Amino acid sequence: MKLKLIRIISSLLITALLGSVGLSQTEITLARFLGDCEQAGTNIQEAVGEACIIQSIINNFSEQDNGITVNTLPTDWGNYYDQIKAMYAGGNAPEVHMIHKSRLPEFASIGVITDLTEDLAEIGVDVSDWTDSAIEAITYNDRIYAVPMDSHANLWHVNLDLLAQAGLVNDDGTPILPSSPEEMLEQAKLVREATGKDYLAADFSQFPIGVRLVLSLVWQQNGEVFTADKATVNTPEVRLAVETITNLFDAGYADPNLNYADSQQAFLDGEAAVLINGTWVVDFYDAQAKDPNVALTNYYVSDFPTLFDTPATWADSHMWAIPSNLKRDDPEKYQAALKLLAWINDNNLDWARTGHMSVRRSVLASEAYNNLPHRSEYANTTNIVRDVLPTVKYGAIQDVLNRELQAIWLTGKSIDDALTDAENAVQDLLR
Amino acid sequence: MQSQSTQSNRSSHFSSQSWRQNLWLKNRDSFEGYLFIAPFLFVYIIFLIYPFFKGIWISLHEWNLLAVAFNPDAKEFIGLQNYRDMLWGRGMTWGLDNLLGWRLLGLAMLAPIWWSVQRGALRSKAAIWLSLSIVLLFGVILGIHPGDDGRWYDRRFWSIVWNTLAFVLLTVPLVTSIGLGLAIALNRQSPIMALFRTIFFLSQVLSVTVVTLIWQMIFSPSQGIISNLLQVFGLEPITWITNERLAMPAIVIATVWWSMGFAMVVFLAGLQEIPTERYEAARLDGAGPWSLLRHITLPGIRRTTTLVVILQIILHFQVFGQSHLITRGGPNDSTQVLVRYIYQTAFRDSELGYASGLAVLLFVIMLIFSVIQLRLNREEGV
Amino acid sequence: MVGNKRLYWLMIAGLSIFAFLWLVPILWMFSMSLQPNNLLARTTSNTALGLIPIPFTFENFVRLFTLGLTPRWFLNSMVVAIGMTLLVLILSSLAGYAFARIPFKGRKIIYPLVLAGLVIPEQAVFIPLYTMFADWNLHSSYSALIAPRLAVPIGVFLMTQFFRGIPVYIEEAAELDGANRWTIFTRIMLPLSLPAMTTLGILTFLYAWNDYLWPLVSAQSKEMFTITVGLASIQSNFAQSEGLGRVMASGVIASLPVVIIFLIFQRYIVRGIALGGGK
Repeated sequence: MKLKLIRIISSLLITALLGSVGLSQTEITLARFLGDCEQAGTNIQEAVGEACIIQSIINNFSEQDNGITVNTLPTDWGNYYDQIKAMYAGGNAPEVHMIHKSRLPEFASIGVITDLTEDLAEIGVDVSDWTDSAIEAITYNDRIYAVPMDSHANLWHVNLDLLAQAGLVNDDGTPILPSSPEEMLEQAKLVREATGKDYLAADFSQFPIGVRLVLSLVWQQNGEVFTADKATVNTPEVRLAVETITNLFDAGYADPNLNYADSQQAFLDGEAAVLINGTWVVDFYDAQAKDPNVALTNYYVSDFPTLFDTPATWADSHMWAIPSNLKRDDPEKYQAALKLLAWINDNNLDWARTGHMSVRRSVLASEAYNNLPHRSEYANTTNIVRDVLPTVKYGAIQDVLNRELQAIWLTGKSIDDALTDAENAVQDLLR
Repeated sequence: MQSQSTQSNRSSHFSSQSWRQNLWLKNRDSFEGYLFIAPFLFVYIIFLIYPFFKGIWISLHEWNLLAVAFNPDAKEFIGLQNYRDMLWGRGMTWGLDNLLGWRLLGLAMLAPIWWSVQRGALRSKAAIWLSLSIVLLFGVILGIHPGDDGRWYDRRFWSIVWNTLAFVLLTVPLVTSIGLGLAIALNRQSPIMALFRTIFFLSQVLSVTVVTLIWQMIFSPSQGIISNLLQVFGLEPITWITNERLAMPAIVIATVWWSMGFAMVVFLAGLQEIPTERYEAARLDGAGPWSLLRHITLPGIRRTTTLVVILQIILHFQVFGQSHLITRGGPNDSTQVLVRYIYQTAFRDSELGYASGLAVLLFVIMLIFSVIQLRLNREEGV
Repeated sequence: MVGNKRLYWLMIAGLSIFAFLWLVPILWMFSMSLQPNNLLARTTSNTALGLIPIPFTFENFVRLFTLGLTPRWFLNSMVVAIGMTLLVLILSSLAGYAFARIPFKGRKIIYPLVLAGLVIPEQAVFIPLYTMFADWNLHSSYSALIAPRLAVPIGVFLMTQFFRGIPVYIEEAAELDGANRWTIFTRIMLPLSLPAMTTLGILTFLYAWNDYLWPLVSAQSKEMFTITVGLASIQSNFAQSEGLGRVMASGVIASLPVVIIFLIFQRYIVRGIALGGGK
């Protein structure tokens, strides 16, 4: 209780002090996932990794002489949407928050985030500079609800040394990637025989990276897991996609028990030739590969290989939204929030340094962007990205698929049973 | 008394006031009584009774967390549909062979009950009620299941109830027996015993997230201390958390480590209450340690045991942190428990109505256990 | 006698091994918090399975105090736990005294109704409570973290039971001396109930310190996290494999004060719990 008193007095003192200097700062709160970076500072160019790059962009804006301070609430990924919803429903919504393309319908459909369509030009954001897919990502019912920041996709992160030992590297130094499930098994066998290591690692036991992998393989066969009103999980395409991966486990070329951290560690330790993970770790792995203490040295990152007919890889998009009541209740903060979004948009190139794909045509065309480390190695990814249909139930559907896939891989549930159960559960969610 | 009499003397000049004074004296107890309980009653009604009924009310609605927060009219009254979705399915039938093993095991409980009646340890009225409930539950209700074309509306619900029950059924006996064993071993006045008591109670004061932090690491196949130890002997690491058969034992182990201390201390207190004369008398009669344990110690702490078991059941039915943080409910929902399901339904899926229904059901299950335990307790007390 | 003695030492040896194993998780956490992060990223079993912190560093703790919110979370937990404990003690002793000693009208109805609340678990009411505090715009505050827990009737039950056990003649003597009810309560009954209050206080403190679900939904800004929620937020982070030492240091910081309080007051704590449990 005494503490509270001290807090009140000190906050009074601070207000009095600031008031006397004549500063009036608009404070806005920003919520994001990506984890914390306490030492971000304001130097954007020097930051490495998602958390630090985004935080330095935010800090830099906050420190500028623009009358706006930003209070960041970094959240861990696992609970992010639970917490954002709890904040909204609790009347504590942050003025600005991150959101995914896949989650936008859920928030836009009940009108909790602002329609930005008219206001973007006002603050100097050029909508026409955004790529078509970016505009599609931020649009719900023909209105724009967010400012896009990236497109991120699943990539193949490759340990070239291990592949080279198995004879799977071309003369030009690029890895030889499989073009069919059978070829993948063969390559995995070669890697095992030459190095004794696993062929593939990924988070199959925790976050839905395995779901994204299966989705990619389904799309490559021109399939879908659900349409607007029908679940199509129990189909030959999905079965083949699942079997493709299950075969690797059965042959012992990959370990389904690894979670995100473990799979990453296995790759960095040189225990797996290929890691399936997103664009967000390219600069981090690049930095790790240069560290003499890290077993991974020859790092390469490739487009997701096409194992079936059509090239495709799972993708989503990070974007920024503003709660819908802000415009009405506090126009000053609304303007400040818009300015922050414009600033983040201005710094799109630095965000792309993480490995993400830019959403701005001007950045995509720039030399600086195309000269980023490893960028050329996965240049085609932007042409093959796919995502599920927009649905308000995305979170729940993804959870069903993740659970059933884990049931197959970790607990030996038969593919038939799991796909039947998943189809029923997804159908229930779509009704 | 003195002050009261002077007061009434002074007020006797005014007859009406004196009448009031009398009334005041008569009702003083009530007035003061309510004054004393008012602060608690206030928070009790506002923060427990009202929310309890509001929870039931919410459960009768289709109630989206976000939508209703922005527009209070966005909820829809749907009666008992949430409960139907939870408990029922389409194409339900009744089969003799559904869950046959468990049901036979349940029905087998009738034998010890009627044996207790024979011994006179249980009154036959209570036994009849208990038997009826068992026959109804195991004989009839558990025979209900979806037919060939049918299925549960909520396929996850019953397996989650079962997981929670399994967690309780594994944890409570372990905590109780380890707590009791240690209490009997450590029930001596000596510095080293005091040190042991301190050590075994220490883990109890840690917060749930410290416990999950440590045990998450311990169980890790790549960095955990168990796999590190196994590697020394050239053995394969155990994948505790991602193995369907080991995930539940893993969170049970962490929970036993965390919450055993309390049971131990309560047992120690119970042991202290057994008069030492009883032991001395028995020893004089030439009773050995085992005989002392069987005939004096165990009967002497029967009530304590019941108390520990009740507290543990109620506590562990509410398990959340261990499942939420160590296994995240996985793999394949094998460690998904009721409270985590409620939390996710409310805050991830935004379905407050359904989540509230689940919460009401959790309440009902716990209520059943409390009543059974209280009944048993009363019977034994007689 | 000799056989007994050998049995005794055998038991001591067995207990020692068991006690050591029991302590291993805590020792390991402590040891990891004192090892460099980049070492832990490679191996967690450097010296003696990692139970001995060699190489040794204080950096994790230094960084914890200079960066990050752990000290703040710790402070929040203290405020919430102490505030809740004090308020529970006040409310429960007042109500318990009335239920035990004041023959007010309706007592026989109200007391069972209060006890009935014992069967309502926190989890059965946290959703409606969430919507209530949202309507009042009170989330992310100390009052939101403390208030709901005050309603739990276990304290009233314990205090009522205790006051009932105090012989009536003590009060009657005081009443004859002209003491009014408030005086009797504060001067006689409260001091007598110190052991019961200790029990209740410790149970409440432990509960408040450990509570996870309610702060998880109610503390919505990182500044208002309790240590429990804060620790949860850093352990499920993607960055875990990069900063194991620091996460463990946070765990140590979160535990150390409670452990110290426990070691100092353990006689009272154990006696208190025994008193509550023995009833």
